[in-house]
Amino acid sequence: MDVFRALADPTRRAVFEQLTRGEATVKDLTKKFEVSQPAISQHLGTLREGGLVSVRREGRFTYWRVEPTGLKPLVNWIEHYQAFWLDRLAKLKALIVEMEE
Amino acid sequence: MNIVVDYDLPGPPAKVWRALTDSKLLASWLMDNDLVAEVGRMFDFRSKPMGDWDGVVHCQVLEVVANEKLSYSWRGGSGKTALDTVVTWTLTPNGTGTRLHLEHAGFTEHAAFAYDAMGRGWRDKHADLAKLSEL
Repeated sequence: MDVFRALADPTRRAVFEQLTRGEATVKDLTKKFEVSQPAISQHLGTLREGGLVSVRREGRFTYWRVEPTGLKPLVNWIEHYQAFWLDRLAKLKALIVEMEE
Repeated sequence: MNIVVDYDLPGPPAKVWRALTDSKLLASWLMDNDLVAEVGRMFDFRSKPMGDWDGVVHCQVLEVVANEKLSYSWRGGSGKTALDTVVTWTLTPNGTGTRLHLEHAGFTEHAAFAYDAMGRGWRDKHADLAKLSEL
């Protein structure tokens, strides 16, 4: 399961988005999304396989939270090109200064 | 999701246009290429391979308005890192120089989503910090 497939489903994406606002239990999420508990658990399982969320156990509760590095593969191109274009535009500027009219 | 950059250059649009459309000049600041600035022409940019990307960008010229606007598709990678985007350069006279507007458009909706979610996560954390500092 890769990151893209993990986020392909709209409910799963909404669950993930919810977790970016703070950790939550399966029960919290079930209430929020009006989906059955097994369905939420399945979505969380898929998100975990995609490396997007992880669990933290405290007493008898299990909290789900966003894995901060999980989105790295997605933003790679955007980050790459933001830096790339600024670097190349500086080179273009140097060239323009050098070029004859 | 688009990347937008506005950049001021110290030369008139005709000069900047040459740097954007002359294959050799373009190679000196961007990447090796075989660009011919005619609508419909296919060309490639070639750079060093990076990760599982072979370093080749496949392009097709989409729009050419001399000294004003140049647009081409910008495709590369494969599988989950595939990129299917469009690069558009717009030149506007700005005093004795040029305001160069770059728009790199079409990053996938997943990438856009990820970017938004991260932005919000970061803002939320920031909000929490602000609350803490008020205590």
